[in-house]
Amino acid sequence: MNTSRTNDVEPAPVHRVALVTGASRGLGATVASFLAATGHHLVIDARSVDALHASAEALRSHGGAVAEVPGDVADADHRRRLVDAARELGGLDLLVNNASTLGASPLPRLADLTAETLRRTLEVNLVAPLALLRAALPLLTERRGLVVNVSSDAAIGGYEGWGGYGASKAALDLATRTLAAELAPTGVAAVAVDPGDLRTELHQRAYPGEDIGDRPEPRVTLPFWAWLFAQPGSAVNGQRFHAQEDVWLRAPELLGELFGAAVVVE
Amino acid sequence: MMPVAADRAIAAGGPLGSTSRTPRPATAPTEARGLQRDEVSLLVSDGAGHHHATFLDLATFLQPGDLLVVNDSATLAARLPLRASAGPGVLHLATRFTRDLWLAEPRWSPERQGPLPLVPGEPVEVAGSEARMVAPYPGQPRLWFVRVDGDAAMARAGAPIRYAHVDHDQPLERYQTVFARLPGSAEMPSAGRAFSRRALDRLREAGVLTAPLTLHTSVSSLEHDGGPLAHDSLPPEPFEVPRSTADAVNHAGAQGRRVIAIGTSVVRALESAFADGLVHPGGGFTRRVLHPARRPAVVDGLLTGFHEPRSTHLALLTALAGEATVCDAYDVAARGPYLWHEFGDLHLLLPPREREATNAR
Repeated sequence: MNTSRTNDVEPAPVHRVALVTGASRGLGATVASFLAATGHHLVIDARSVDALHASAEALRSHGGAVAEVPGDVADADHRRRLVDAARELGGLDLLVNNASTLGASPLPRLADLTAETLRRTLEVNLVAPLALLRAALPLLTERRGLVVNVSSDAAIGGYEGWGGYGASKAALDLATRTLAAELAPTGVAAVAVDPGDLRTELHQRAYPGEDIGDRPEPRVTLPFWAWLFAQPGSAVNGQRFHAQEDVWLRAPELLGELFGAAVVVE
Repeated sequence: MMPVAADRAIAAGGPLGSTSRTPRPATAPTEARGLQRDEVSLLVSDGAGHHHATFLDLATFLQPGDLLVVNDSATLAARLPLRASAGPGVLHLATRFTRDLWLAEPRWSPERQGPLPLVPGEPVEVAGSEARMVAPYPGQPRLWFVRVDGDAAMARAGAPIRYAHVDHDQPLERYQTVFARLPGSAEMPSAGRAFSRRALDRLREAGVLTAPLTLHTSVSSLEHDGGPLAHDSLPPEPFEVPRSTADAVNHAGAQGRRVIAIGTSVVRALESAFADGLVHPGGGFTRRVLHPARRPAVVDGLLTGFHEPRSTHLALLTALAGEATVCDAYDVAARGPYLWHEFGDLHLLLPPREREATNAR
């Protein structure tokens, strides 16, 4: 995309701003760290004030602004504060809905899952990301931003014990596709990302007492994030990606735009 | 000159280690050896045997209707001067993610690989401009994400990547193939290097078809020490298959005509674009590795250089032609006059004749 300039004065650099939920540890911390290191301003949240503060301090070493907003994504006031923090940093280019709850640990059979736990799981993993998007949509629209909903293979698998969590992620996947269709005219894009099994606290809680040391660390997903964040939203809108897969494809209708050049048809 | 890393890998054994002799690298381009590009030697392995030829004879081993798929990626001047807290070095740009985010390999020198002692967030100087180390590539500490205006740095101070087996720096045009159209490869897609206008004319006269795709190659140095073949520690490479090429490949497949990849990069791009029995137009990034347990579904034959033992290139060859054929061919090549590496000779692997017969219209 070329923007025509009327003079030779470079415009002041506009920092890209990203909001990452659940950023004090695990996958969220990895994504936030990569974004900070690549020049983003950040808004991050987590429920633990101390863990969040430690994360924010580490992120600030990269030189960008970091707003730490402790709280629970299921709380509407907290979500409003997150969006306010992004507005104060200048806007919002990227919303990463990463904060998730496993529900109960150890994972019960779906038939034994209490209504209370299921309700809380859906509240955190499905209602909160959509409510946060709704609150952030005016800012995202201004910047033609990207929404990333962190999913799971439990959304598809039907694995024993993962029914409540998996149902919340399956619903989030559907919501992502719906958002992609509905928001396309506004330039806001939405994708779902299955990060694959990772050595995280959430995964450990699914297997209490078991050694999950054979699962890779969250940083194995870095190449995928680097690729995803480099794509124009229209090239990925509505897709569901596996971060640990060996191929990540763009929408085929964007053929020829990959390298910013038209394909010559022989 | 330092010994090439391949020698160590052969000494260490591994796939083909016992059958391969010490390869002789091409230490200079054909032009500097008094040859035309299309005069390099060609070994043809067709399952029934191995034939010695020169590249200009390529058409005589092909059939009317064969489809050659070529890589139109152009080579970058990807080697840049680097100054880090650990000292001076060079930075090999591997892959562009955005204008100012690259995967790159910091080295002590063209001959001496890293890793350099670097820390995430460290400011460095690349070609005289400020840059910043972001994070090491997971599982691959010699490769880093770097915030750097790579295009500007290459325009100022870039040179083609050169490893120890090549004696002298060569100008960038010696790293461009006749197909080169879209800049983006860290290293030349070298199987296309021998093609000349007259070679293409001969192929056209023989009824052989060509179609382009793009795969921007990353640095190859990472696996020369016999590293793992798992995809998750390999750098992803951008690729794109145009609709016209996807159509041509699917059409050839449907008619039983052979699809011959010009270079392993072409195999990887086609296989990455393959789903539900068809090659789909489109693109993205791929880390796909082909090996005997994951055999190519699209291509029937391959024109390629001579590769180091335990490399993903060689795993791909064995996936396509079988280990016995490849071992045999490498024995023949090591005894013969064949030269290894990007300025070296070429190897055409064709399916056994039985298969041709069953595929014939």
